[in-house]
Amino acid sequence: MSEPSSIRYHDLRHVTGQSTLIDIDNGAVESAGTSFFNRAILRVLGSHGWGILQIDNFSPCSKKKFNSLLASASRLAAVTRQDVDLSEATYHALGVPPMQEDPRDVSIEEKTSLLSEIEQAARHPEIVNRRANYIERSEHILFSDSSGHEFSYEICRSGFNVLAVASRNGTVQMGYERVHSISGFDLRHRQEYGEKAAKVAIALLDAGNAKGGRMRAVLDPELAGVFAHEAVGHASEGDLVQEGSSVLAGRVGERIGNDRLSIVDDPSIPEFGFEPFDAEGVAVKRTEIIRNGVVNAFLHSRETLAAVGHGIAGHARAMAAEPPLVRMSNTYIENGDSTLEEMMELCKNGILLKGSRGGQVDPGRGIFQFNAEYGFLIEEGECTRMVRDVSLSGEILSTLHGILLCGNDRSMHPGYCGKGGQSVPVSDGAPHILLENAMVGGSGVD
Amino acid sequence: MAWIDQLLREGARRVDEVEVFFAKGIAVSADLKRKNINIATRSDECGLGIRTIDKGRIGSSSTHNPKKWKECLNAAIASGKLATPQRWDGLPEPVARDHEEICHDPLLTVDPETATGLLGQMLEGASQHPVQVTSGSATLSVSTDIIVNSCGVRYTSRYTGVSISLESIKDQSTGTEFAQSCFMDIDPFAVGERAAFLAFHSSGGQEITSGDYDVLLSPLAYAELLGAAFIPALNGRNVHVGRSLLAKKLGESIMDSHLSMYDDPFRQRGLGSTFWDAEGMPTKRIDFVRDGVLSSFAYDLRTAYRYGKESTASAIRGGASAGTAIGHHNFIIDGPRTGVADERVIYVNGVVGAHTANPMSGDFSVELSNAFWMEDGEFQAPIRSAMLAGNVFAMHKDIGGISDEMRQIGSMVLPSIRLQGQRVIGK
Repeated sequence: MSEPSSIRYHDLRHVTGQSTLIDIDNGAVESAGTSFFNRAILRVLGSHGWGILQIDNFSPCSKKKFNSLLASASRLAAVTRQDVDLSEATYHALGVPPMQEDPRDVSIEEKTSLLSEIEQAARHPEIVNRRANYIERSEHILFSDSSGHEFSYEICRSGFNVLAVASRNGTVQMGYERVHSISGFDLRHRQEYGEKAAKVAIALLDAGNAKGGRMRAVLDPELAGVFAHEAVGHASEGDLVQEGSSVLAGRVGERIGNDRLSIVDDPSIPEFGFEPFDAEGVAVKRTEIIRNGVVNAFLHSRETLAAVGHGIAGHARAMAAEPPLVRMSNTYIENGDSTLEEMMELCKNGILLKGSRGGQVDPGRGIFQFNAEYGFLIEEGECTRMVRDVSLSGEILSTLHGILLCGNDRSMHPGYCGKGGQSVPVSDGAPHILLENAMVGGSGVD
Repeated sequence: MAWIDQLLREGARRVDEVEVFFAKGIAVSADLKRKNINIATRSDECGLGIRTIDKGRIGSSSTHNPKKWKECLNAAIASGKLATPQRWDGLPEPVARDHEEICHDPLLTVDPETATGLLGQMLEGASQHPVQVTSGSATLSVSTDIIVNSCGVRYTSRYTGVSISLESIKDQSTGTEFAQSCFMDIDPFAVGERAAFLAFHSSGGQEITSGDYDVLLSPLAYAELLGAAFIPALNGRNVHVGRSLLAKKLGESIMDSHLSMYDDPFRQRGLGSTFWDAEGMPTKRIDFVRDGVLSSFAYDLRTAYRYGKESTASAIRGGASAGTAIGHHNFIIDGPRTGVADERVIYVNGVVGAHTANPMSGDFSVELSNAFWMEDGEFQAPIRSAMLAGNVFAMHKDIGGISDEMRQIGSMVLPSIRLQGQRVIGK
């Protein structure tokens, strides 16, 4: 069987590897083991759109068998009607940053014992539950396409979460810490995270509820990173721009924030969202989404770049055997030149928000929401009472104008981002920022 | 599948008990980019999950490659050696059950033409309102699950599924709708029409002043808040390890006496309907809350043995590689029905950010989406943007009623619920 003639392009992405998970709950090792995965995706671009095969347990096959897979995908492509074109792209594979210590060289017994130390560090009379999880996933990715590109890499992501739950007189609160990276094994001497989770949970027992309404807010680097991700990152994704579900569509060159604000996505830096090349084999590079307050570029795959323009391809990402989607990687607000002290002083009366419980955006409507782990009221420039369950919402096109100051202390924080049923590792970051007229949600009343 | 018997024999030689879960399936989907199909996909899924139990130590592993069952069995046994031993009284033995397939529609065909047809009907529905369709999807699937254990259980279940969704926009107002079923009984025209209706009728929304209001949560908005913070508190493991606010409240009145919550695994056309759970335990109805009184928690075997309880057959599995966990099959909210929208109320179709709720305390503050004023059951002016702040436990204390209509949202079957005096933060 020969390759079907209607095929304009095809690519294959085969992911194999193993994951190790350890779960310790109140001192008991609930599970500690390894699982194996092997999945592939074959994409064929027919006369109009894509035909895709997702295959569990794929093994490299003969030319004849491969051609029959191409023919199957081609038959699927035949039902499509959207004319898909692909932009030109540059191809280059970055090296995966070396790990200081390869987690795969550490026995699972030692990992379990180190994780247990972190979990035990959260012990306290008022802590009623401690839970620690270790997650390690090593993937081998093999990419090839009909243009003759062939790349592969191996990457290991590992890290841990620790949760502490405090209880007193019917009030229950939690503290949660996480550390995830691509830079190697990082479970040794990390008891401080267990202690911090416990400390935050206990402190939150005495915290009040924030009163909802509009006010000035100082966001810490972790939460400000989530703000960049939810308020700007998603709306800049080329697929959403293409289909008309982003308020940023058609706004390249338009000012949506003040001069001090620049927001970047960069898959090439050695943070948790790093990729040596993207899910279409394309070279990865930095994209400045917002430059000095003005919409500068969108994030793109080859398909969305051809359809929309403004930016570069190299932002397509995918879980094993899932279709590439335009995704963020390492997204951040660039440093400004203010200090936290200056922000607190200018804020005068408002709220300081710390940590993140995640967020969500409706990019078509331009409305986003995200939640802090906790906060402190700011009164006369000083942090006073601790508050809990504070969320923030806003409108993409107006809220960015409210960023009055950006700090000079940017840091990156790892996490996972969900879109189209796929969850991929990302990092978000920012310096401290001061936001005017922030819409704060809380159930407290005067 | 002789390898499964080989696996059981090999496992039984090395550990006390072995459980094998094997799933195989095909799914076909077609996706819209605006009004045209740009992707058609076929997915061939295959997964093996193994659990071993030896002297109370539970081990597990999974693989996509059943030919590598030996490697997977070794990994499961190795993982069991690290687990803390617990009381364990055995995997279930087989129970004779009526083997009628409860989630299988022989008339459901898994092919791209059927998916294309569903998309076409959704687009026709959407054309009833002047909006732009942004994306949509239709997926058809068929799969077979096998649970086998060393105590003689060997259950095979076939499943079929259809799911559709459509997203649309009118200016800066979005509307999305979906439907999911095990049977070819969905109404794609209605789904398309509803997505377009929501986008069209939400445009030109007005501001609202902060204050306390009566709020009518649609089944969708209600499901998101329940799933984020209430349902985890009914999980037996969370109850016993200190992660549930409901832990010490069994037998107490925890909500309005007009409300009951139960799991009905035998519900006709329920998406989670099943005769046995993911550990092969025969399923049964579980009454979590009866007329406002907390009556039961959900248990799998592991948690039940550990804490001296009985399994409620609540083990679920999100596929071979996901392992087993405590969940529910068809979670239902029930009670006397009233006219929930007769008096003026804020109708909330969806919420943004439910997953950021505090899973321990139940406190949430979320942004509303597709919110309208409603009176005499009729949609009135849309509300542009507002946040809803509250507590998922407290909001059930004194409700304003639940609607006649029920809707299936994943593994939940819910009415709309009217909540009284909820904090809404507007301009």
